[in-house]
Amino acid sequence: MRRLCLNCAYGFLALGVAACLMAALAASCSAQNITVPTSAVAGEPASIAITGSGKATLYILGPGISTKQEVNLGEDLKLRGDALKNAGDYHIVACSDSCHSATFYVSAGKPASLTFLVHPSRVPVSQQDAVSGVAFPFDQFHNLVFTPQTINFQLSAGNASLLNRSVNTQAGVAWFRTSSGKSAGALQVVASLNDFNARRVVQQVASDPCNLRITGQRNAQGILVQTEPVHDCSGNPVPDGTIVSFTATAASGKSTVDAPIKKGVARAEMEATGSAVISGASGVVMGNEVRVGGRP
Amino acid sequence: MIRKFPARSCARISCSLMLVVCFVAAQYSVAADAATQVQLNAAKAAPRAVEPLTQNSIVRDYRVAWNSMSHALEFNSLDPLNGPFTGEAKTGLWQSVVSQQRSGLGRRYADQTHHLDAVFYAPEGDAIELHDTAEYQLQFLDKGKVIHEEHVVAHYVVLMTPSADRWLVRYLQAVPQF
Repeated sequence: MRRLCLNCAYGFLALGVAACLMAALAASCSAQNITVPTSAVAGEPASIAITGSGKATLYILGPGISTKQEVNLGEDLKLRGDALKNAGDYHIVACSDSCHSATFYVSAGKPASLTFLVHPSRVPVSQQDAVSGVAFPFDQFHNLVFTPQTINFQLSAGNASLLNRSVNTQAGVAWFRTSSGKSAGALQVVASLNDFNARRVVQQVASDPCNLRITGQRNAQGILVQTEPVHDCSGNPVPDGTIVSFTATAASGKSTVDAPIKKGVARAEMEATGSAVISGASGVVMGNEVRVGGRP
Repeated sequence: MIRKFPARSCARISCSLMLVVCFVAAQYSVAADAATQVQLNAAKAAPRAVEPLTQNSIVRDYRVAWNSMSHALEFNSLDPLNGPFTGEAKTGLWQSVVSQQRSGLGRRYADQTHHLDAVFYAPEGDAIELHDTAEYQLQFLDKGKVIHEEHVVAHYVVLMTPSADRWLVRYLQAVPQF
């Protein structure tokens, strides 16, 4: 009985050794270990190494790339720069008897361009926090650059500089917000990073009318009312087409006429036989009142 | 003795079978789409706060984007990329699908969960940057056969911009960490 057990033990031992040898032999023919780049940069070549001997099928799956090729284990594999243009995770799978995998990360290269969003395209003058811009730095392969970059924002109208601010990107984005200038016209907005500029133009237009003044006089048809040249509070002429409402209040009732500004002045003719009080308004801005006597 | 079914019965049976198949396929599709979990934390969004309705739209459209991307990369189809992606994201995924079509490879994303943090919301609301901590089961396919499978915890930086009726993924890039 004891001999039988001893024989069994020897048998199991022999089997175990054989299994280990076979496993070792199989392992020597398969991929053992994949060494991938620790810091790869988009567009730059890199190499990976797979230990072992014999041949294997190598799969590379990454952003924008998917390849399958036969490789010799134990040799370095060169990856060309144009195969690594997109930043992100690249998965390497090497299959011979079994499959082994590794992942490496390709980061964006140096900034080569700026994406610059500016709002709005048209803005009234002297508005608080009315102009804003957002800039994203990208490398030459259009990968977003996450390493902090200093972006300079410059706003100018004519020869006057309205803003000159340097902002560091956080998570790949830098932004600003500021008030609009005081004079109507083109507002140049520039974001610059190293030698790269992105230029946008915001049209600044006159704000609401300020100190709206009207005059009125009776003529043969009724009362002719008109504004003085209409400006905003910064002295910019209010654009033609802006509506001015004239309201005549007389004993017979109230009547209103809407007149667009033409060549800086709004003008209207109102019917009123008796005396009337006439007021003008544009948007939320009230003008003065004038009293016009009745027809003699 | 062979009993023959009348032609009308055959047609009925065929129609019923087709309906059942369509129903099952639709259920499977809905289940697959609904299985993608997306959560958004917009508490740290700056400089603008993300409105509740916008949050709902972003969650909905980001889920659609991942489902479309998964479908495109699994079946090597370009059509799913046309709706939810634009700009660099669309170009990059387009390249991935075309490359996979050439090599006969594929990728399958299963059991997805996405935890989104809104980190930047532009002052005028025309761009939002999200950090997505995603977990999924990633399978690599060679001519439809799974050659490798792994559980992945990945980090993505996402830029979304609004279009007429939805938010589009403009940029989607994996990063090692935030």
